[in-house]
Amino acid sequence: MNLKPFSLLLPALLGLSLAAQTPVPPAKGVVLPVNAAIPEDPEIQKVIAPLAAEIKATFDLPLVKAPQGLFRGRRGEENLLGYWVADAMRLAAQGAINAPVRFAITNAGGLRSNLRAGQLKVADIFELMPFENELVVVELTGAELIQVVSEGIARRGGEPCSGIIARVEGSPEKGILTVTWADGSLIDPKATVKVATSDYLYGGGDSIPTLKTGRKPFTTGITLRQLLLDQCGVLGKANQDLLPPAPGRYSIPVPIQEAIRDKKFKF
Amino acid sequence: MDRRTFLAALGATAAATQLPLQAAAEPVQGSGRITLLHTNDTHSRIEPFGPGNGAISGLGGVTRRATLIKQLRQQLGSVLLLDAGDTFQGTPYFNRYKGRLDYQLMRMMGYDAGTLGNHDFDNGVGPLVEALEAMEQLQHANAPFALLNCNYDFKGAPALAKRVRPYQVKTFPGLRVGLTGVGVAFAGLVSDKNHEGITWRDPYESLKPVVKHLREVEKVDLVVLLSHLGYNLNGTAPDDLRLPGAVAGIDAIIGGHSHTFLEAPTKVPQAQGETLVFQVGFGGVNLGRMDFAVAKGTVRAASGSALPVLA
Repeated sequence: MNLKPFSLLLPALLGLSLAAQTPVPPAKGVVLPVNAAIPEDPEIQKVIAPLAAEIKATFDLPLVKAPQGLFRGRRGEENLLGYWVADAMRLAAQGAINAPVRFAITNAGGLRSNLRAGQLKVADIFELMPFENELVVVELTGAELIQVVSEGIARRGGEPCSGIIARVEGSPEKGILTVTWADGSLIDPKATVKVATSDYLYGGGDSIPTLKTGRKPFTTGITLRQLLLDQCGVLGKANQDLLPPAPGRYSIPVPIQEAIRDKKFKF
Repeated sequence: MDRRTFLAALGATAAATQLPLQAAAEPVQGSGRITLLHTNDTHSRIEPFGPGNGAISGLGGVTRRATLIKQLRQQLGSVLLLDAGDTFQGTPYFNRYKGRLDYQLMRMMGYDAGTLGNHDFDNGVGPLVEALEAMEQLQHANAPFALLNCNYDFKGAPALAKRVRPYQVKTFPGLRVGLTGVGVAFAGLVSDKNHEGITWRDPYESLKPVVKHLREVEKVDLVVLLSHLGYNLNGTAPDDLRLPGAVAGIDAIIGGHSHTFLEAPTKVPQAQGETLVFQVGFGGVNLGRMDFAVAKGTVRAASGSALPVLA
């Protein structure tokens, strides 16, 4: 374009648009995939290379063998990975407060990847638990504990837990919940129970409101990730395999599971 | 044409009279082109996704993203590089470098602005501020980028308040672009202690005065929103698809939070024309590109808003 200054100004003064003289193409946007066909930027590569080496040195360290892997479970399957995490939380909480902790609960949504079968590395635990969430011990009554379990079932079909067995019977319109201790003994609704959970759930995350009412919170200063790393380290050093816990903590009939997913289930 | 635009055009003409060779390059105010390049939910994915990640295996990586951005900037000239939040959390890089690396790399790549996602609060407000400080203190030719948000009240978090602006105006040859940002509610996503001193407000109500200010006071030609609300929440919470119906006058929404892989922007009608709503998955797998040609006069009057086009 070789316009003189005044000819540029004139259409603008007249309220005419240059674009009106040349047709405007139709509205559109595109996705540009960032793939291997694009060369690496040397300036950025120079910054990342030493950091990547540092990450690799730490995160490639071997931890423990998990010959079967530990998995969150597909539709209708129990979250055995979650059970292992809850067991480890309960164990670490007992160590932290030096007293029995009979129940632990975490949120399935916080477990970000499965542990695939084979040699586990530090990086695998970071991928599973990237968050800096902390282990917290609170006090609930037995009745509140049962309420916590029921809220987890109603919302997500049961959040991973340790120390209890939960059974749902009845119909999607009216479910009946039975919760006992893991050995089958009855939970005294009036008893005070120490409960291990995360600061995230205790703070009201993932909608288990009764957990928020927990009393005498003890913040352990241990992140969930660290206690899992520790647990793997102990097994690895003892030359033991990491195996998934046995299923059977939640038993929920399929029609009720489906009703929960469709948000149509009621106790 | 308002007086300000007229004066700007006149100034350009006067300068051009003295330097006739540059005359053709001097644009008419309110007429120009701009390309928006954007990411969302990059989640500390510094390296490409490894094998075993399904359709996104082998995709992403900041070294490639940087090259792509450089190439496009060279080709296109007027470019804004933007991000819709959740820069933090997802790989050991975040655990080790606490987001400092992510923000520094964004500055090195030439990001102009970003917004805050819920995961950017994962380590709390203190470490978020530290990551921003590390980005600001980096010795680099590119300017530090701005964080934009207009629906978080930062009153109780002054160190962060200093670093987050409700909006920003960027000037390009021939046009002014207004940028702003909105974030998702904290409830159930960010623990109370991690957003201490910061209160969430309704994004629709927070946006209305900002968009009005950008249009009427700042006289921008294009309004772009960085949103970490999510693409479609089916009416359970504010989202990108329903936002244009509630707040008119936004030309483009660069979305995030829901990790939605859109193949092209969704055109949502609104009172002043239409809004292009876009989101490009997560993890830096894609770079989004939207091209806008803005033309004052007949075209602009007909649509009542800037007219988006692909170059």
